[in-house]
Amino acid sequence: MSAIVLPLLPVLGAGLLIALRGRPRALGPVAVAVLAATVAVGVWAALTEPSAALRWSPAIELRLAVEGFGRVMVVLVPLIATPIVAYAAATETDGRPRLLALMVAFVGAMLVLVAAADFLTLLIAWELVGALSWALIGHGWRDPENGRSATRAFLTTRLGDLGLYVAAGATFAASGSFAFGAIGGVGSPAREMIAAGVLLAAAAKSAQVPFAPWLFAAMAGPTPVSALLHSATLVASGAYLLIRLEPSLATVSWFLPAVALVGIVTAISGGIVATLQTHAKRALAASTSAQYGLMFAAVGAGFPAAAGAQLVAHAAFKSLLFLGAGVAIHARGTADIGRLRLGRAVPRIALLSAVGALALAAVPPLGGAWSKEQVLAGAMDASGWFGAAVLVAGFLSALYAARYQVLAYGRAAEGPGTDDPNPIRRPGRVETGSMAALATLTLALSLLWMPGAGRIVEEAAGGRLPESAPWEIVATLAVLAAAFGVAWWLHHSGRLLRLGLRPAVQAAAGNWLGLPVAVSMLVERPVIVLSGWLRVIDERVIDAGVRRAAWVASVISGLFSRRVELSIDGLVHLVGAVTLSSAAGSRLADDAGVDAAVEATGRGIGLLGHQSRRLQTGQSHQYFVILGAGLAVMAAVLAIYR
Amino acid sequence: MLSAAIFIPIVASVVLALLPRRGASGPAGERRLQLIATAIAAIPLLLIAVAWLRFGSTGRFEQVEALDWIPTLGIGYRVGVDGLSLPLAAMTALVFVVSIAFPVDLKGRPIAYFALMLFLEGVSIGLFLALDLFLFFVFWDVSLVAMYFLIGAWGHGDAQRSALKFFLYTFAGSLPLLLAILGLYLVTEPRTFDMAQIIRQQPLAGGGLYAVLVFAGFFIGFAIKTPLVPFHTWLPPAHVDAPGPASAILAGVLLKMGTYGFVRILMAMMPDTWAQFALPIGILAVISIVYGALVALAQTNLKRLIAYTSVNHMGYVILGLAVAGTAITGQEAARAIALTGATVEMVAHGLITGGLFLTSGAMLARGGTYEMDQYGGLLTRARSLTGITAVLAFASLGLPGLAGFVAEVQVFVGTLAIYPGLAAIALFGIIITAALFLRMLQKLFLGALPERWKRFPDLSRVEAAALGVLVFFVILIGVAPAWLLNVVDSFAGPFVGRP
Repeated sequence: MSAIVLPLLPVLGAGLLIALRGRPRALGPVAVAVLAATVAVGVWAALTEPSAALRWSPAIELRLAVEGFGRVMVVLVPLIATPIVAYAAATETDGRPRLLALMVAFVGAMLVLVAAADFLTLLIAWELVGALSWALIGHGWRDPENGRSATRAFLTTRLGDLGLYVAAGATFAASGSFAFGAIGGVGSPAREMIAAGVLLAAAAKSAQVPFAPWLFAAMAGPTPVSALLHSATLVASGAYLLIRLEPSLATVSWFLPAVALVGIVTAISGGIVATLQTHAKRALAASTSAQYGLMFAAVGAGFPAAAGAQLVAHAAFKSLLFLGAGVAIHARGTADIGRLRLGRAVPRIALLSAVGALALAAVPPLGGAWSKEQVLAGAMDASGWFGAAVLVAGFLSALYAARYQVLAYGRAAEGPGTDDPNPIRRPGRVETGSMAALATLTLALSLLWMPGAGRIVEEAAGGRLPESAPWEIVATLAVLAAAFGVAWWLHHSGRLLRLGLRPAVQAAAGNWLGLPVAVSMLVERPVIVLSGWLRVIDERVIDAGVRRAAWVASVISGLFSRRVELSIDGLVHLVGAVTLSSAAGSRLADDAGVDAAVEATGRGIGLLGHQSRRLQTGQSHQYFVILGAGLAVMAAVLAIYR
Repeated sequence: MLSAAIFIPIVASVVLALLPRRGASGPAGERRLQLIATAIAAIPLLLIAVAWLRFGSTGRFEQVEALDWIPTLGIGYRVGVDGLSLPLAAMTALVFVVSIAFPVDLKGRPIAYFALMLFLEGVSIGLFLALDLFLFFVFWDVSLVAMYFLIGAWGHGDAQRSALKFFLYTFAGSLPLLLAILGLYLVTEPRTFDMAQIIRQQPLAGGGLYAVLVFAGFFIGFAIKTPLVPFHTWLPPAHVDAPGPASAILAGVLLKMGTYGFVRILMAMMPDTWAQFALPIGILAVISIVYGALVALAQTNLKRLIAYTSVNHMGYVILGLAVAGTAITGQEAARAIALTGATVEMVAHGLITGGLFLTSGAMLARGGTYEMDQYGGLLTRARSLTGITAVLAFASLGLPGLAGFVAEVQVFVGTLAIYPGLAAIALFGIIITAALFLRMLQKLFLGALPERWKRFPDLSRVEAAALGVLVFFVILIGVAPAWLLNVVDSFAGPFVGRP
């Protein structure tokens, strides 16, 4: 078997789901079966490292190869997707066949992405994943706001895709190939262009500053879609790419510091935004940016293996948290985190969500705590200030994780949520089961604390893990305790939801610290205004300018050969005459303005012809007269037959 | 064989025009006539498919058919194919079959409509296969006349004025073209219009003012037809008022005559002068890309929007050609990939934009307007129309897996190697086109369905089948383009002197 099976299985599965659209009962089981089979193929691929190639032309070959961290991803992607798709099949009733088919096809595209062995294959998968997420985010297409959100998300990530075009072009220009393996032999400045392109693409896809707000737009999609995009797929591709290419690009002097800077800035600002947010899904979305920021920080510190561990841990607990948010939103009919408080109503779901929240907060012995410990150790390895910044980010993530869990699934009687008169819609078995599966995976990742696990991570992700000092663990625990203490204090003083801020201030800052407003004012509006201006200029100025340019052109050509010009001149008159007569014959024709224009233009060209009658070249004019006559006869015949 | 592909539709059009009108009256008669015309139009497609199978990828003109015509002037009837003209001729034949089969308001003149369409098919195929400058020019000019009548007589809105504007602008473009052909002819030794001989002779290899003037004549002629900014303003009104199938042919086939001329004549016969002006041409192309996309973004009329994206896409073609024509040695691989990309863009744009104009014709037939704000939520009622338009729109914005990407990525990759700055600016074109096409899909198909479109009909079976053929090739080229790229590469590699 070749590596092509890996994406082909889900893509064919998507086709099957479309074919089965008339049988709603079969859809869920078939979708889950296809993805379960894909997990099996993924395990096989991780073990045997298959490859495949498709030649496009003598210059271009597309290649898939399961290698490096890709071996982890080919298992992780379908493994996380399976319970999410089961959840979607059970909860989403509107357009279910399309939704499930798109989700399964999306997994296929994502598998191409993680198996790509060259920039062109990567670019293809990268953009396909983006386009499919457009369709997924805009799934509820009857509401125009969803379509607009999907478009915004697609455009932002496509801006990042340009980076891959640059990286692909620079690799080809320098090496004559697109293969990742060729980067090593590329010199400066091409290698710097590759590094810049990769960073741009990765930052946009992984929702880093300044691209982060697109994840808020992506919240327009159904909750299972958010769970899929945020965990092991779309958003993960940026971090995956950095992990995969870090060894080749680390030699570019500014590359790793730039990755680290983007990552830590996003980790801290995303943490603040997540703490401020009052919309359940947006709080999780900001946390996604922040967590990927930590992965960027780890890569920037030179430890892609630590980022890899964080990616896997995050995939498990974030998909769990999103499904939990979906249950909560479904139960209450609102995403306002101040109105949820479902602890007493759905205790089992609350417990499962708590597993995810504790992993997000990095509480040992969960896997999320181990990977965050590695990120911290890596940052400390680079510099003390960097390490301190990671500790701040860790404090924020523990704080917002606690705040989210208490507000969404707490039992206390704070806020208006508790006396909500609407009946609670309870989750079914599939929802609980899907969450239980992801919670099990989250718990199983506690095995990362076992001795020897580090070696396995190093082997799987490539590269080494940082040395972790004992005081770092103490510092982490102290920060964790501080964060929980603050959360407890806020909770008991009744300020957990509002944080003592005025609602308007909180809403403005919670909307990515005003970043979307800035993008809209500095990018979107100017482009729209400019395009409007250009449209007016096009219609009023250029259209007139063309006429002048044509005149200049005929003056120049008149200097060449006036004989030819003469016969052309005659031809123009002939055609003009034919036009006039046919227009006269037609019932439609009464447009004196147009007729006048023909004559005026004909006269103008004729004048030019007369003025340039001095030069004599060529002897072929009679043939052009014949040609003109032939044209006229033909035109006349056709005019008669109208 | 190739001559048959040119003359069977031309002869058929004459025969058709002489037919009595009685047989074609009434809806049944019109349908019968459309079926016959489609069958005739398919003959050149089959012949070109056979030529494709026999094609040897030798890098020279193949399957040449030649006859003396006016030997004292070195004018001959010469046709043949290479890796540039074969894909274009095939695309032309395909777009014609689909367009002729596509239902349209015949305005009670079915015979003349199908006769003109078949005539234009033969002429267009002839232009791409012609290996003689004189023959090329004859086909060039005659195609204008046929298109003029198609727009003027079967168009809507202000059709007469738009047709006239189209005719005068493009005809003004063929004047400098004719002068340039003669200018080139006069320096050949022995004097000849034979393209292969002129390419061998390279009569203007030295450059100089004369060469620049001849170059300018060709350039303006082709730039108007392509069209390049600022020579493009004839295009939107012509498209808006033309019937859907004529629009499809205008965008799909006639624009390619300009870009084809750039390669076949300017780059092949005057490579030194092209290399001299490659950078300014590249800049002009980037202006077309960004400007065309931005003006398209501001449009509210569906057809004007698609027309301006044609300006944008032809910018990609010219950018690829500018890059390919630089005389930079050591970058032959990048130049070849740019030339391959530009050629594939010609084919891809023909299929994609041809398809988009046919779908907009279907919109007009159902809704009576091209104003996008008048529609909305049509996905509820018209699933095939939505699906096909969405695939074509995504193809046009360059989504991988579809034909446009295969072309554009090669143009970008080639350009990055030669003119990185131009490539960086041009890349923003694909963001703007993405924005405008997604907005178009949103306005037409998503959101709430207005009350007045509660009975909006989906595509008929004929329409869906015709568009399905185009979509099939758009996907085929997008996923597995080796059969096309290998043929184009057989031309592009030797053309740039790739070792």
